[in-house]
Amino acid sequence: MRKTLPSFLFLLLLIFAIAFAISSVSAYDGISGLGTEEQESSVMITGYQINPATLMCNDVGTVTVTVKNMESDKSVNIKDARMLSRNIKVLSNSYFNIGRLGPGESLNLTFTIKATCPDGIYYPRILVEGEDAQNIRYSIPVTVDSSSLTIGVKDIPEDVFKGERARIELVVGNPRQNTATAVKIATMEENVIPSEVFIGALSADETKVASFNFTPQTKSAHILNFELEFKNGDNYHLTALSVPLDVTESKKRAELIITGIEVEPMLGMKVYKITGDINNAGLKEAKSVVMKVGNAEGIEAMHPYKAYFVGLLSPDDFSSFELDVKVGENGTQVPLIIEYKDEDGNKFSKTEYVSIERHQGTTSSGELPLSVIVVLVVVAIFVIGAIAYSWKKR
Amino acid sequence: MLEVLTNPNKFFEARKRGEESLRIPVLIVLISGIIGGISAFLTSSIMMEAMTKTLPPEAQGFMSFMPIGSAIGAVIASFIIWLIIAAIFFGIASIFKGEGKFKRTLEFVGYGYIPTIIGGLISAVLVYNFVTTVQIPTITDPTEIREVITPLMKSPMMLLSSVIGILFMLWSANIWVFGLKHARNLSTKNALITVAIPVAAYILFSVYQMGVM
Repeated sequence: MRKTLPSFLFLLLLIFAIAFAISSVSAYDGISGLGTEEQESSVMITGYQINPATLMCNDVGTVTVTVKNMESDKSVNIKDARMLSRNIKVLSNSYFNIGRLGPGESLNLTFTIKATCPDGIYYPRILVEGEDAQNIRYSIPVTVDSSSLTIGVKDIPEDVFKGERARIELVVGNPRQNTATAVKIATMEENVIPSEVFIGALSADETKVASFNFTPQTKSAHILNFELEFKNGDNYHLTALSVPLDVTESKKRAELIITGIEVEPMLGMKVYKITGDINNAGLKEAKSVVMKVGNAEGIEAMHPYKAYFVGLLSPDDFSSFELDVKVGENGTQVPLIIEYKDEDGNKFSKTEYVSIERHQGTTSSGELPLSVIVVLVVVAIFVIGAIAYSWKKR
Repeated sequence: MLEVLTNPNKFFEARKRGEESLRIPVLIVLISGIIGGISAFLTSSIMMEAMTKTLPPEAQGFMSFMPIGSAIGAVIASFIIWLIIAAIFFGIASIFKGEGKFKRTLEFVGYGYIPTIIGGLISAVLVYNFVTTVQIPTITDPTEIREVITPLMKSPMMLLSSVIGILFMLWSANIWVFGLKHARNLSTKNALITVAIPVAAYILFSVYQMGVM
């Protein structure tokens, strides 16, 4: 019996020691399970907020917890608050000597975190220690999901022709659990307009369409590069999209050619009247056809026909035109610009050159026909004859 | 009447015996003036066509009266010139102690306008032919008017018209020589000098104008 009592006391102490050790370990790291709350505690964590709600890998975010004094007649002195985690990197420092929290009062504490870990759900632990209250340990679930916004081609013409506008529709989708903001698609391509389309906020599982117009100037293989930019919280992310296109020459476009060119000099000022026919040898209509005199050294368009509006020119149709141009000493070639639009409003331009041959001292309208010279000689002989005859008869 | 063209000496000798009458000379000068007016109308038309854009819109309406004004002006001017030519001949003949009334001089000078009718008709046809075929640039800057008008007036067709005018003026001068001989009782030589001085001055001026323009 003397030996039994000490053994019993030792066994009792051992049980207490094991129980204390178990409770200490579980209080430090609760990786799984939701937050544990001490029911007896006079201070509670009543809520939390994570921004952004779902982080991407390497994103920086914030976790804000609300600490509330649940006592109705007693204030509590909060000594410190800290966030602890093995997987999520905590960037901000712990809070020390926060101060007293009055009865029923609450306090928001914000911690900055960085998701340096692979995708998954992590539970960083909040520890709040009060002077005259029990400590709080609270686990917050933080989701890391690196799924990016998606961008793809929604619609594109089967054939893209040189000089013709092709409409490209891109679709942006948000497969994430949270809303992405400041979503925009930008491109540095020369012949693509607009260069940027701003979409704005894109909620989870939402899609939006952005349209671009591409007017290729050369026929070859093109790769159009687009960049999708968005913000997850305060973190910028980029996604690139390359759209390969094969630009060919259209076989059905309008084809305007000039024939029957006549250059007629006008009197003085070195002005020439250029007339001719403009024909549509293509298979499509040419709309708003305008003939103009192009810019060149020593060449100046003149009134009344600085430009000539032809209008609609159907396939296999033609129209006459007239242009007035002043040609300086240096000018010998007059550039004629033919501008027209297709049915989509795409503008086309073509330049043809007309040679000017100078007539020194005479003009086509001023040349003396042989018959006139004969008349002059006859008149002169007649007058001289009449005068001579009158003197002879005197 | 045709005798004045073929044998003016005999014609004026016969007319001298009758009363002074300006009826036929006025008619001749009027016809000459009307034909000159037609040429002036055509020339003014192309000038107006070229210059119309240089004027403000309110002045462009006024410009449309320019060709008609030119034609009327040419008719009136032909009568004034008739008087001036007669006065000059009368004055020069006085130096050669010519005798006779101014009215007789005026009458005989008027007959001398007959060749200018023929010359005017030929010139009018030439000017019409020129006007209907020439391409006139539209001027928008008033400083370009001279640049356009000068070659217009210097064009071969217009020069030819002037040359024909001079030829028929010589024919008229020939008639005036015999007209003054009888109107002012001058010798043929003095009558020739009387007519030759102003006519030569006119022809020289015309040739100079053709060269300068």
